Amino acid sequence: MEKNHLNPEKWVDRYADYLFNYTIVRVNDREVANDIISETFLAGLNSMKNFKGEASERTWLISILKRKIIDYYRRNNSSKGQAEVKMNFPNSDNEGDWLEEKVADLSVMTAEDQMENRELGLAILECLDQLNEKQATIFKMKTIDGIDTEAICNEFNISPSNFWVIIHRARIALAKCLEKNWF
Amino acid sequence: MKLSCSEAAELCEKAEYKEVSLREKIKLKLHLYFCRMCKNYYQDNKKLSGLLKKADLKACSHQEKENFKEKIKQENSQVSNQQKKH
Repeated sequence: MEKNHLNPEKWVDRYADYLFNYTIVRVNDREVANDIISETFLAGLNSMKNFKGEASERTWLISILKRKIIDYYRRNNSSKGQAEVKMNFPNSDNEGDWLEEKVADLSVMTAEDQMENRELGLAILECLDQLNEKQATIFKMKTIDGIDTEAICNEFNISPSNFWVIIHRARIALAKCLEKNWF
Repeated sequence: MKLSCSEAAELCEKAEYKEVSLREKIKLKLHLYFCRMCKNYYQDNKKLSGLLKKADLKACSHQEKENFKEKIKQENSQVSNQQKKH
């Protein structure tokens, strides 16, 4: 079997979004998530010699990330002394809003739905990895960051119809990959 | 006026990102009416958009990524310096 190699210069471009989506749902705070991700990259660098090349680079980084998230939970809990349960009681300041709040609550997804959607998101990002880098970057810029077609065309120096061909190919590949791996 | 399938494909994508003009929309609809293959693609592509929306993907900002890269670079030079010493 071919061995996997580590390529730290490519980590950020390849995995940052994936790690971010994985982390944000678990810690719910952008800054904390970013800290954990940098810790993960640094820990990865420092233990590169332990990488045996059996797992994929992504799987290996995720296993480090998981440990970092657990560390974070521990630190967080010990500093507070106890686990905290947050509940949203309607407060009196915005009385009168409560009815709308309740109605809105009904449409809020359950935790399981959210988890499932997050997994779907990770599956999508994993599938995007199989595209070539330029395709994947352009697709992400358009679909996730919502950047204007014109701005992307300028940055990559491509024509609009070129751009749409890239989007088209990316979406076909993505659909195929998702069909295989998710459904 | 008549659209080829590859032109229709382009319009399908534009439609998903809400970038079709009314004129293009009509052309596309007309093409889809006669072309089974493109119609299937159009519908599947719509479903894909639904999934993408559901997944609600987040991305790191450019700045955040640059920060990560900077940290990796620093650490990397430290690690290689230490290796040289040993």
